Amino acid sequence: MKLGWQEMKRSKTKFLILGSILFLVSFLAFIVEGLANGLSQDNSALVKNLPNGHFYMSEEADRTYSFSSIKPQAQADALNAHPDAIALSIQMGFLIDASGKQRSFALAATEGAGLLPSVKRGEVVLDRSMEKEGIQVGDRLSNDNYGGALTVVGFADSQKFSHASVAFLQAEDYKEITGRSGMQLLFLPGSDAPALPGLVSFSKNGFLKTIPSYNAEQLTLNMIIGFLAAISGLLFGIFFYMMNVQKMGLYGILKAIGVRTGALFRMMWTQMAVITVAALLLSAALSLLFGAFAPEGMPYLLTADRVARLSVLFLIIGFAGSALSGIQIKKAAPLQAIQQGEM
Amino acid sequence: MKGFELQNIIKSYPDGDAEVQVLKGVDLRLVPGELTALVGSSGSGKSTLLTIAAGLQRATEGRILLDGRDLAKMSQEEIRKIRASRFGFVFQAAHLVPFLSVEEQLALMLEVSENKLDVNAKREKANAMLKLVGMEHRRKAYPASLSGGEKQRVAIARAIIHEPRLLFADEPTASLDSKRTHEIMQLIQGLTRTFQMSTLLVTHDEETLAYADRVVTMKDGQIIL
Repeated sequence: MKLGWQEMKRSKTKFLILGSILFLVSFLAFIVEGLANGLSQDNSALVKNLPNGHFYMSEEADRTYSFSSIKPQAQADALNAHPDAIALSIQMGFLIDASGKQRSFALAATEGAGLLPSVKRGEVVLDRSMEKEGIQVGDRLSNDNYGGALTVVGFADSQKFSHASVAFLQAEDYKEITGRSGMQLLFLPGSDAPALPGLVSFSKNGFLKTIPSYNAEQLTLNMIIGFLAAISGLLFGIFFYMMNVQKMGLYGILKAIGVRTGALFRMMWTQMAVITVAALLLSAALSLLFGAFAPEGMPYLLTADRVARLSVLFLIIGFAGSALSGIQIKKAAPLQAIQQGEM
Repeated sequence: MKGFELQNIIKSYPDGDAEVQVLKGVDLRLVPGELTALVGSSGSGKSTLLTIAAGLQRATEGRILLDGRDLAKMSQEEIRKIRASRFGFVFQAAHLVPFLSVEEQLALMLEVSENKLDVNAKREKANAMLKLVGMEHRRKAYPASLSGGEKQRVAIARAIIHEPRLLFADEPTASLDSKRTHEIMQLIQGLTRTFQMSTLLVTHDEETLAYADRVVTMKDGQIIL
């Protein structure tokens, strides 16, 4: 361990170069992670902010919530049997503000317990982001399919779905605007998912995976993060391989005088750990700070636990990459090193 | 039985379908406080004998007895421990660790030999050893800034700081001029006597033989004198 540190002190430039490359790779990975998480939140905050529980949709819907239709009797039975359950319908649509500007919304109607905002006929509750766009309580919104006007009675925090702000409507108003009657989904809070006749249950994550746009988006971003992590592992592998090849003579001599092979591995892992931790600390601090300065409207959300998880992944990959290159250390032969002359 | 002894050492290498025998049953006993020079023409087997005696490669047959224990029957880890604690090495090139200062080179050897001294005692010992080899004024220097003779002095200090029973020196003066050769040989001779080590020196250089207590000549894998 001490040997590793002593070499780093003496060869600062060499290790600084590797550290800066790793910093750039991990910084990029953290930024992409922040974007992935932000987009995920933008796409599914409505679902994610619900407590732990299960969604139900009709069997005939074939895992597509927009095709699902919960029969009124089944809905009544479920809401009676589970007082904390809600029924929910969501459809993309638009509302027009007083200035005539058309705004996209995820229109939602709920029935049952107060997990989501509920409104009376003629009222609407919007996601708080609309407040920043100039809509105020008391404003009136219209729709071509709706006879009257909807009055904005409040805003709800972090209520987004499919990258649109959610507008919570009363079920009759929802039916009038969307032309759809009945609810598409049931949601039962709790860890159990009791079997309901004619309905299929999904965990929250399972439900999100049934949304094609969410899946495709997250898969792409996670693939980028995976590639960045793999690149960092390769970087470690290549860097330490090159360094180990250069140091075969030194390793041989150290072995000749009695240094354990394990001590040489520890020397390399110390260097790997110091570089990785320093690079990760810097990139984590800067990427968390980036959230505060990210352009308005950029869906960027990076949390400390996600940074920690990704950091652990980088450490494991760095460890594995350097360990693979460390096979060279095992091969280092004292006799050969002595015969090769000065290192 | 105390002491270090090589008995009937045979070393063969495969050469195609045939086998080449480079050591043909060598016997050699090293005595504490005595510098034994091993001489012979190139290919006579003297370096092979030294590396086998030092546990750096295995013999095909024969016994290597250190205080009655046979190194030939020991595991690699047991041999490593003996190399670390009871053997010292000086090679043709100094082979210093490039990123360690002179005093750190010595501290590393004390650590490897699992010396039980505390930090201050280790420092004092390193300073005393550097004084002994005339390098105390360069203890903060790194190998890149040392001359060939200085490097070899540091290598000698590193080889004996843990007070080994045996010192193996493979042509330690080969890269030095005549003046430095005499300085280094005087040093090795003096240290052999001071620390009562058994020193085995492989050399081509006749100038160095004057410092040996015993000269052993090898030819075609056998000791002839």
